[in-house]
Amino acid sequence: MDLRTRKLFDRSLTGVSVMAVALMALALAILLAPIVARGLGAFFFRATSEFRRFNLEQFDRGDPRAVAAETRAVAAARRPVYDMLAAFEDELAELDTSRRPALRKQLREVKEGLVELLGPPPGEIAAVMLRQQYGQTRWDRARGKLAGILFAVKWDYSDPSRMGRKVLVPRRSAFAGTRLEPLFPYLERNLKAMLRPRPVFYWRFLADRSLDSHFFGGIWPEILGTVYLTLGAMLLAIPFGVIAAVYLSEFAAAGRVVSLLRVCISTLAGVPSIVFGLFGLAFFINTLHLSRSKSVLAGSATLALLILPTIIRASEEALKAVPRSYKEAALSLGASPLRMVLTVLLPAALPGILTGIIISMGRAAGETAPIIFTAAVSVGQPLKLWETLSQPTPALPWNIYNLATEHQAVDEIRHVQFGMVLTLVLLVLLLNLAAILIRARISKKMRG
Amino acid sequence: MTQIPIANPSLEATAAAGAAHVNCQEFSFYYGDNQAVTDVTLDFPSFQVTAIIGPSGCGKSTLLRSINRMNDLIPGRRTTGRLVFDGQDVYGPRLDVVALRRRIGMVFQKPNPFPKSIFNNIAYGRRLYDSLERRELQAVVETSLQRAGLWEEVKDRLDDNALSLSGGQQQRLCIARALAVDPEVLLMDEPTSALDPRATARVEDLIAELRGRYTIIIVTHNMQQAARVSDHTAFLYEGNLVEYGPTARMFTQPREKRTEDYMTGRFG
Amino acid sequence: MSDAASRLRRLAAFLSKSLLLMATAMSLVAVLLIIVYIARDAIPFFKLHGLKELFASAAWFPSGTPPEFGAWAIFVGSALVTAGAVVVAVPLGVAAAIALSDILPYRLRQAVKPVIEVLAALPSVAYGFFALVIFAPLLQQRGGSLLAVAAWLVLLPLGLLLILIVSGAATRSVRPDVAPAARWILAAALAAILLRGLLALGSLLASLTVASGTNALNVSVVLGVMALPTIVSVAEDSLQAAGRELREGSYALGATRAETLFKAVMPAAGSGIIAAVILGVMRAIGETMVVWMASGNAAQVPQPWYNLLSPVRTLTATIAGDMGEADQVLGSSRYHVLFALALCLLVISLLANLGSEWILRRKQRRLGGAK
Repeated sequence: MDLRTRKLFDRSLTGVSVMAVALMALALAILLAPIVARGLGAFFFRATSEFRRFNLEQFDRGDPRAVAAETRAVAAARRPVYDMLAAFEDELAELDTSRRPALRKQLREVKEGLVELLGPPPGEIAAVMLRQQYGQTRWDRARGKLAGILFAVKWDYSDPSRMGRKVLVPRRSAFAGTRLEPLFPYLERNLKAMLRPRPVFYWRFLADRSLDSHFFGGIWPEILGTVYLTLGAMLLAIPFGVIAAVYLSEFAAAGRVVSLLRVCISTLAGVPSIVFGLFGLAFFINTLHLSRSKSVLAGSATLALLILPTIIRASEEALKAVPRSYKEAALSLGASPLRMVLTVLLPAALPGILTGIIISMGRAAGETAPIIFTAAVSVGQPLKLWETLSQPTPALPWNIYNLATEHQAVDEIRHVQFGMVLTLVLLVLLLNLAAILIRARISKKMRG
Repeated sequence: MTQIPIANPSLEATAAAGAAHVNCQEFSFYYGDNQAVTDVTLDFPSFQVTAIIGPSGCGKSTLLRSINRMNDLIPGRRTTGRLVFDGQDVYGPRLDVVALRRRIGMVFQKPNPFPKSIFNNIAYGRRLYDSLERRELQAVVETSLQRAGLWEEVKDRLDDNALSLSGGQQQRLCIARALAVDPEVLLMDEPTSALDPRATARVEDLIAELRGRYTIIIVTHNMQQAARVSDHTAFLYEGNLVEYGPTARMFTQPREKRTEDYMTGRFG
Repeated sequence: MSDAASRLRRLAAFLSKSLLLMATAMSLVAVLLIIVYIARDAIPFFKLHGLKELFASAAWFPSGTPPEFGAWAIFVGSALVTAGAVVVAVPLGVAAAIALSDILPYRLRQAVKPVIEVLAALPSVAYGFFALVIFAPLLQQRGGSLLAVAAWLVLLPLGLLLILIVSGAATRSVRPDVAPAARWILAAALAAILLRGLLALGSLLASLTVASGTNALNVSVVLGVMALPTIVSVAEDSLQAAGRELREGSYALGATRAETLFKAVMPAAGSGIIAAVILGVMRAIGETMVVWMASGNAAQVPQPWYNLLSPVRTLTATIAGDMGEADQVLGSSRYHVLFALALCLLVISLLANLGSEWILRRKQRRLGGAK
């Protein structure tokens, strides 16, 4: 091969590999950007008057007089809407019979849309479900609902070779010439006056319980559940993990037993997480009867097994990095090996062990598959500490899955889903950041 | 620093014969802010053996590795002055490193055979730029191994992994590997420091045999070795060239006090 | 020191050491328990239905009367998705590992490391959420054009490179004075063919309609990205471990960086790279949330089998999805079949793990023995 072709090869390799790294970074950016951008929407958004009324009535938050004044002002702005509806209903009886059924259907859709947008009309008996008692609390969702009132959705199947296309038809044209026709421009013009959007920072998204299956409120039960599960798993895994690491690095002579143990550790690390979940169900719940059904305890035990190998490996590495001279100094002073481990080795290796522990904490917090059958439920209240022994809990990873796939109104609560994902991702990344900082401090100390 | 006159009667003769040779003109080498080689001016005579000696950290390996630009891998390296091979500035913008290294072979401190068969180790360099037929390649491998004095020992097991050889054999394999691409210059960076005395003697004999066929530049911390194998010796101290001359004279009548001190073991 | 005291002390040391050993044996116990308990609940299924139904039939109707448990389509789904992930992750991962170990300058390398760590740390449910909520709609609406752009991006540079090499090789025996001209004419002709082909392929791909964004392709891409950090870090470690001496030996013979990497470093680091790929594959096979959320969960063999745009169902997603219903009928075939699937998954992961362990160890022995 001549030199030019060889060099071309060389340059292409450089190009390809740098491109691979760039692609990797791009993948991360594409992954994180929407999660961060839309996740922040759960915390920072334009809240409507409904949000403030809701907060006062359900959480007893805010100035009652201000909210009452706002409610009055808003009601005044809404009055023409209900007047127009009433006037049209009188008119409907006089209309051409051929138009009536179609208009009646459209009217029903408009009224349903208005309930969702503004809450129940004045004078109506309060519905049972919370979501029917309040209008839209978020301005962005209110705008979406408004569009649903202004336009009817039709599907266009005229081209048989393609899938149906969505077409938006303005409802105003359907009601042309009736007393309801002015409703639509009125809504469009006066939505702000009817809902009074104001920017808020809803940090209580993290601390509020959820109401009416996440239509309102925050994600505190999920956060608490994740914290319980993670801490429980750490509590169970740390002693075993660190002891195993001490044994492997200090006491074990190389031999069959040790290499068998090592194979087991790496095998355990390779078991798919869903198999852990199934095992937790079959062993901790159906055999040991740790709890009658799913519980935080069973979930923590399952997660503990999952992160055991990570802790062992990280701790062993940290222990091996402790200079031999430390150990020898302690032993030469007549300390027993066990005493040497407790007084010299473990303190010296502590930052490294901590790094491993924190990283596996992030892993335990984010795992879903092992807790599906052992600990997680979709809806639940925050647990008391002693209840963790027998009660299942909602948890961030499981509820992200649940809200994104099985919730009855997946599209209505996207902001909650994104907020949850962002919270979980931030939790895990902060744990990792902590680990990185500790590691950086260790290596700085090692360098002197 | 003091300028050292280069006394080298044989130089003109070989240069006139058209052989490519290496010379440094006020050559300096920096690692970031650290100057490892300072203003070295030196002419390596062709087809002879030149030894570079000096205490560890004096820049002798750096100087050697500058010749085939082995230091390119180090971030933040910088050079001033000129280092010329075959009339071309080694650090010039138009120089092709790959072509340069083909013409300047190198043998390292620790034997570093590839984890491949003996045959493939020797054929490695040749295959990069030549698509020879199997028979031609076999001839190249045999010649190179013979020149490195290894042929008799390995001719029956050319397909064995090179890592199965002894340390001394591995080092001679590395020399054979370098010879297989027909270099004009052979750089040796303390080639015997990882070997036992017998293997060392074998490599030294080999250097003597290769003399006259290749321009050899050898870095060594072992003064006896320098005295045994080299025609010329350069003494480097803290990056500066202290003294340079025919080996026989350098070891009997050093002109510089520091050379004498080093050779008599007063520091180093 | 008295005799009794010393004996006591030795006893204490022995006891504490055995205690340590017992705690260490926890992993061994856990592995055994997992195997035993998964197998224990899997065996009733095999007793009742035998092996043939599970592996040979593609009829998966666990709630039918009579129920049918043909998991062939599920195995195909797992295999397809994993293969797709490998296609995405292995070239990208190995190339990135090469960049990190040999090409990027130190500073940039330090900047890239956190990217890998974050990719590895992100919870799988976050990947799944992305696949379902962001990637799937995108794929459904613009799938064709996305595929066309991807095809252009991958095939154009590779094709051009191939053309240059082919035209160089084909004109080697041509007379030197006309060789450059011949080479350029040949290259131009080949490039024209390549462009034609790419245009045709691009418009073919762009005309594809993606019926559903939750399909094997979606999951393959996301799983590929998930497996990347594992592959990159393990492969980079083994590339680094090949050592500077080896690289210098190759450079000194006049090899380019690419030649050094492909002919000296990669052969030396090969087993580590294979182990990296195995670990990456394991990550893809064992992953639950992404496939459960975004694979479409249709227990059918795609038509044709390589059709990545059709929804599939995998082993892990089946276990996760069906257990909710099977839980109430504890002891039924529906319950036990999930353990049978888990047993298959477990066996695959055990074999892969032992395989990679064996590869790495053999290499260690080989290198260790030579020193």
